[in-house]
Amino acid sequence: MDLTGGFGARSGGIRPCREPIGLESLHLGDEFRQLVTTLPPENAGGSFTALLELPPTQAVELLHFTDSSSSQAAVTGIGGEIAPPLHSFGGTLAFPSNSVLMERAARFSVIATEQQNGNISGETPTSSVPSNSSANLDRVKTEPAETDSSQRLISDSAIENQIPCRSQNNRNGKRKDFEKKGKSSTKKNKSSEENEKLPYVHVRARRGQATDSHSLAERARREKINARMKLLQELVPGCDKIQGTALVLDEIINHVQSLQRQVEMLSMRLAAVNPRIDFNLDTILASENGSLMDGSFNGTPMQLAWPHQAIETEQSFHHRQLPPPPTQQWPFDGLNQPVWGREEDQADGNDNSNLMAVSENVMVASANLHPNQVKMEL
Amino acid sequence: MMNTYNMVKQEFIKKWINTLHMLDSSIEHPLNVTERKNAIRLSSDLAMAAARNGSTVWSRALISRSGNKTANKPMARRILKKARNRMKNRCNILRRNGNFTAKTGVRKRTDLLKSLVPGGELIDDKDYLIRETLDYIVYLRAQVDVMRTVAAVDLFTRNLTNDRRNK
Repeated sequence: MDLTGGFGARSGGIRPCREPIGLESLHLGDEFRQLVTTLPPENAGGSFTALLELPPTQAVELLHFTDSSSSQAAVTGIGGEIAPPLHSFGGTLAFPSNSVLMERAARFSVIATEQQNGNISGETPTSSVPSNSSANLDRVKTEPAETDSSQRLISDSAIENQIPCRSQNNRNGKRKDFEKKGKSSTKKNKSSEENEKLPYVHVRARRGQATDSHSLAERARREKINARMKLLQELVPGCDKIQGTALVLDEIINHVQSLQRQVEMLSMRLAAVNPRIDFNLDTILASENGSLMDGSFNGTPMQLAWPHQAIETEQSFHHRQLPPPPTQQWPFDGLNQPVWGREEDQADGNDNSNLMAVSENVMVASANLHPNQVKMEL
Repeated sequence: MMNTYNMVKQEFIKKWINTLHMLDSSIEHPLNVTERKNAIRLSSDLAMAAARNGSTVWSRALISRSGNKTANKPMARRILKKARNRMKNRCNILRRNGNFTAKTGVRKRTDLLKSLVPGGELIDDKDYLIRETLDYIVYLRAQVDVMRTVAAVDLFTRNLTNDRRNK
């Protein structure tokens, strides 16, 4: 079992975007504006800092939309978020913005951060490369801060942060799919998010301020952070008084803590219910084990009978196209993939239906595979 | 379009089943709930980090941190080998020059965040820390979602079998 088997989503296609940030690139001038405006709408890859525009905004959105829908709990602290009931959580998951956010964040983390290899070293923070395909360009000029439109938010932050960058050669034909990671030149820039495009960020050297690269980098960062703050203030009601990065950090911290607590609670719950550690397979894929442990109950005929009922009632869920099974050696490829893929696709928040769909597939799987066989293969 | 997040969760599930079995086969049966919980938590964290596949600081740090708890387990060793190699190569790179002066409140919170995110203390640059945190949050969410669903399915299955038995 190779746990480090590749996650199929190799993000890639990043052209070696090397945006040398020399001193001249940080100076402002007309030539820069020309550069910026005439740049082709394609970006080879977001740079390190360009991507960094995303996380806090995304983080905030994540926090806001994934916490309970009824309350802006992020600001008030997430202490009470411990193990919310399944239904409410499923309801939260049903939020279209929530799923969009998670999808976006997942893409961000999977694709963009896969490109981090070697990128960090020697890359100055101000090499922010604006992003994406031309399709996204028109989004740059959108209204500020609709909380339910994270894209607009992102582009807002992009608008507010303007850093000049000679990055035209780095425009990437950014794909929305996963690509093979290209181990190209030493300095790859990160691919910016597919859904975001980060236009150029102008840093205006104010009168009397130093223009050396370090202070410019600092100033760029600060301005970016300030832009994020502004977005945050628009997102969160009543946080106008809160200044600075502290708010972002607070929310992020709360969210991380709440998630970690939830994991703890869930693992306790799973441990309490199951006398064995590998409960997962036993109870889900083959409840025969559970029934055998209980003693007298022979679940096999029941299991075979049960899926029929489940299937009849859950026909509506079968329209989902099954994802292709991965190439990894996984004995349940054909079975497990649809189980989880389908289950997680339920955006309707109908937890009972989810469970039925899952269980139905589970039982079908167990009918086909003997649990002992399962274990041996693993 | 939930494809990416779904794939994250699927990846996590696969790895989790693997780690659960590895753990189960390699340690003697724990007797009390706390040990079981720790084992489940450990396997889940390892699976999450393995699903992330190693190019993030937090995933490697999580693996090496979890490895301390399962030093005798061959599985952890295997993962640890790869993780440690990468960690060694990366630790130096991570220390970027961040010359910004953080405010006090931000500083405290940054330190707190660093303590929360595995491997955060290795990261000097605040922006990079935030990005690592966001990646970590995604996978944390996936972990929570999967575990919650598994627990629910487990409960549901148990109720179902109990009902059938009681009839």
